[in-house]
Amino acid sequence: MGRVLNNFDLAWKLGAWPTVRNHSILSAFLAALALPLVIFAQTAQRPEAAKTRAVSAVPDFSGVWFIDEYHRNLLPKEDPPFQPWAEAKFKELQSEKLHQDPDDGPDPTERCIPPGIPRTMLQPFPWEIVQARDRVIMIFEYQSLIRQIFTDGRGHPKDLEPTYMGNAIGKFEGDTLVIDTIGFNDKTWLDPMGLPHSDAMHVVERIRRVDHDTLVDEYTIDDPKAYTKSWTTQRTFKLKPEWQIQEYVCSENNKVK
Amino acid sequence: MKIRLVFAWILVLNCPAVSRPLFAHHSSSSYDMEHPVIMKGVVSNMEWTNPHVFIYLDVKDDNGGVEQWRVEGNSPNMLVRAGWKKEMIKAGDQLAVNGALAKSGSKVMRLISLTLANGQKFDGQGFK
Repeated sequence: MGRVLNNFDLAWKLGAWPTVRNHSILSAFLAALALPLVIFAQTAQRPEAAKTRAVSAVPDFSGVWFIDEYHRNLLPKEDPPFQPWAEAKFKELQSEKLHQDPDDGPDPTERCIPPGIPRTMLQPFPWEIVQARDRVIMIFEYQSLIRQIFTDGRGHPKDLEPTYMGNAIGKFEGDTLVIDTIGFNDKTWLDPMGLPHSDAMHVVERIRRVDHDTLVDEYTIDDPKAYTKSWTTQRTFKLKPEWQIQEYVCSENNKVK
Repeated sequence: MKIRLVFAWILVLNCPAVSRPLFAHHSSSSYDMEHPVIMKGVVSNMEWTNPHVFIYLDVKDDNGGVEQWRVEGNSPNMLVRAGWKKEMIKAGDQLAVNGALAKSGSKVMRLISLTLANGQKFDGQGFK
């Protein structure tokens, strides 16, 4: 830019501008130069304005969040309404024999298996919410996982293959983001104690900001294969304005056999 | 246990609250969290690695022998948040570590906090 201006300065010094006699030609030239800028400005303004309106119409949860109180039990005070097989599996996991050697425990995450939902959000590592026009993105430090929650009105795909994160769609209801997730595999635990779930699990979350620094997520677990009725729990997350999501590599020097 | 383990009941006062997330990658169920201990020793090696940082500590036992302990801290990202630097622990350094022992009886400790030779104290989990 500076070089262009210098050329104009040079033209001025050489007397180029005063010698231009046909001002109409100059005007047309300048107008031609300016026209694309005007068009660009107009076309650029429209989506920007629309975006601003769209973002301002929904709550802003963007920022780095961190679990406020960590509990090994997703339901700290009671057992969820187990189906018999789920209760048997859970009780089997509580055997002291399985919890002696730090390098050989039963928890899938110790072998770098993703924690699934909701557990990925409840790990003692921060995660960040980034809000785009058509989705909310959660960037998890733990295992460098990403969760996408589509908020553009689409439904769940009809033919879903099971995944660790599932398929998440969301909608804003006032100050709350409601997330509906299905399409899970059955390879994860709901909490570090080993609460099981099946591939039929359906998780509904209601996320809202109770104050500037506090986010609450209410989780409803609906999994008729593993539980006789749906049940609900909630967790609180605190804003960490000084933190950035950092690198985390699970498999580099993992001592678990 | 013949090594010089100091059962630091006073540390209960300094211990993190029960609800505090102590173990991020490994399950806390394999460690005796009810009885944290303090050990003093000399660093033989340090692995500044993911998912956890490991400090190898030579600890003298009551018979004059030396046992090697593996002391496991949290991941580098969380320890950096607690003020750790990779270079702050080197082979030959004297360290005092406060942590939970493996229930299996293996010479493995999960770090709660450590004190450098210069008296500086650092959280072993990094959630402050």
